[in-house]
Amino acid sequence: MDDDPDICWALEHVLRGLGAKCVLAVDGQSALQAARHNRLALALLDAKGLPDIDGLELAGKIRAADPDVPVVVVSGYFYRDDPAIQAALEQGLIHGFIEKPFSHGEVIETVKSALSSQEAASRAVKLSTAC
Amino acid sequence: MWIYDLRTLSFLAVNDAAVERYGYSREEFLAMTVRQLHLRAERSALLDGVLKSPVSSAQERTWRHVRKDGTVIYVEVARSAVDFAGGSAYLVIANDVSEGKRSELLYRMLMDTIPSSVLLLDEDLRVVLANRNFLDKSRRTNGVTAGKRLAEVFPEVILAEMGLEQQIRNVFTSSHATAGQRLTYRAPGVPIRVYYYSIVPVNWGGQVDHVLFLMDDVTEQTRMGEEIRRMEGRLASVVESASDIVVSTDIQGNIFTWNKAAQKITGYSLEELKGRSFLDYCDESGAPGVRRLLSSGASRESSGRIESNLKTKDGRFRPVSWVFSPMTDDAARTVGFVVVGRDLTEQRKFELQILEAQKLAALGVMARGIAHEIRTPLAISSSAAQFLMEGNLTPEFYRECAEKVHSGIRKASTIIENLLRFAHPSAEKNKTPVDLLRVMREALTLIENQAKVQNIEVRTHFPPEPCQVLGVPSLLEQVFINLLLNAINAMPSGGTIEVFAERTAGEVLARVTDTGEGISPEDFDKIFDPFYTKSPPGKGTGLGLSICYSIVDQHRGSIGVDSQKGEGSTFTVKLPLLFPTEKDSGEPPESSRSGRG
Repeated sequence: MDDDPDICWALEHVLRGLGAKCVLAVDGQSALQAARHNRLALALLDAKGLPDIDGLELAGKIRAADPDVPVVVVSGYFYRDDPAIQAALEQGLIHGFIEKPFSHGEVIETVKSALSSQEAASRAVKLSTAC
Repeated sequence: MWIYDLRTLSFLAVNDAAVERYGYSREEFLAMTVRQLHLRAERSALLDGVLKSPVSSAQERTWRHVRKDGTVIYVEVARSAVDFAGGSAYLVIANDVSEGKRSELLYRMLMDTIPSSVLLLDEDLRVVLANRNFLDKSRRTNGVTAGKRLAEVFPEVILAEMGLEQQIRNVFTSSHATAGQRLTYRAPGVPIRVYYYSIVPVNWGGQVDHVLFLMDDVTEQTRMGEEIRRMEGRLASVVESASDIVVSTDIQGNIFTWNKAAQKITGYSLEELKGRSFLDYCDESGAPGVRRLLSSGASRESSGRIESNLKTKDGRFRPVSWVFSPMTDDAARTVGFVVVGRDLTEQRKFELQILEAQKLAALGVMARGIAHEIRTPLAISSSAAQFLMEGNLTPEFYRECAEKVHSGIRKASTIIENLLRFAHPSAEKNKTPVDLLRVMREALTLIENQAKVQNIEVRTHFPPEPCQVLGVPSLLEQVFINLLLNAINAMPSGGTIEVFAERTAGEVLARVTDTGEGISPEDFDKIFDPFYTKSPPGKGTGLGLSICYSIVDQHRGSIGVDSQKGEGSTFTVKLPLLFPTEKDSGEPPESSRSGRG
């Protein structure tokens, strides 16, 4: 989920390389719907600039809808040791953080690590969609 | 007159005058002794001794005798020894002096009633008389005072220091009273007392043979005076030690007093500017206000406040907040002003610090905004480049990746360009006369397609004649493109955009109204801030409105917003007309419906 369709485009292609099926969304509302209607293995979320909701708040809502879904934040707004991101990681609200711009290797590493941490590897990897 | 027996003291003969004066009959007299005439208290052995003592010559003495009715008379007595019927006897001539004695008593009483110390002095500077007040104050008795020389009555030190004796002698020779002078006198065993004394000649037939030395005890008054001085001193020190500037002026504003704080802040001492006009020490921006307060203050009761810079001795100015209060006399007339000023230098410093802190905070918000906006297209380019490096791509994907690399870089460049424009929007020299209506129509053409896609109808209300302004057409066009795009973005599910232009006195008013989501009142202040955005997906950098603001400002215009949450927003741009005409007084604009919607 990212408000920029081109970010969705890039991440979709990276994750397809892993054999994952993606659902894309460009706002919080459709992302939440995607999380409810699809059994997601993992959610990649932009953290800022969403028209309707703050990224970390959205992470909480997705986790409330499906507690088994690990969430990874992809953001250009926050930096890695940002207090808000550190707190979210510590609380288990999110399971990984990817800083824009990212290397594909980094995305794959973070996604795999988040999946194993959530022991949800059996589920197919999906990414919320609506674009 | 009577004759009494020297041995028995019995009366031997009395004349008619004695009978008349004393009230006793002749027979009663002849049955009495001389002793019985005297006041009971004076009937002593001494009296008997005196009465019996032989005298060779006439002796006079005043006695107190009691008449038959019990009243006392003062009698001067002269005795002479006589033979009477072969025996020794005294012939007594008694003279009733009661009348004179009473006057003396009255005089004594008066002297003692006077609430001042009075000494009557003769030419030898001896005390002829000292009144009760003097004796009490000096803790002396009449015995050690009356008849004594002044030097025995007053301490030598006082006499010498004050030159009292000389002063008294001068009064004897000049026969003029001295004016009051101060004398501090401490009698043994009493606290110091302060007197005002004067020396008054007692004139008797053109001859001064006595002087009155009058002393008024002013110890209490002196103490009160000192109390008042102490109080005044305390008030003065309050003013002097105040950390605020306290100045008093006369009614014209000429400086009368100037406290230490004023001296410390300005470097001027009171001596340097006493009598100078307070206005001379205000800077040009503050002087008119101060002048107004000084002239209107005379008729006002309340105090006036003003901020004005105060000139210092080294030629600089310090910001001061002043309070002018009229000073009134007992008749409630304004006689001057009390001007209290607080040095605002520290406060201004603090305000600057806050402003710096606010700027830093704003910079932080801005940095995050820039990071987010630029890192996103960078991430796209970077990602696309990584796909390209992987190789083995379909020609379509290869092309798609190359396009993403290109568009990402372009997006990032645009953001940076906008930032530069925001930071340095200067285009002063590129300004030309331009018809704002034409600029607006071009902007409308550019958004026409997008509006159609989003099912938005666009209506224009333009006046028939051109609205010439001085400006940079491309920048002005950007203002309207941004406003129109905002309007479109505010109506994702369609609506109406109305664009007005109107000439008013000296100005052209351009309005863009949408029927979109509207803006919360709490966001009114922020919408023109850079990177403040609530833009829909993929749109808006948060710079659009701040760039509009910057451009309009650069064209000496203004931009404002009016909005109702849920009902839409109206942005109004006002720009100065280049050629304002007489008839630009608010004619209703021509209403037309654009077919572009």
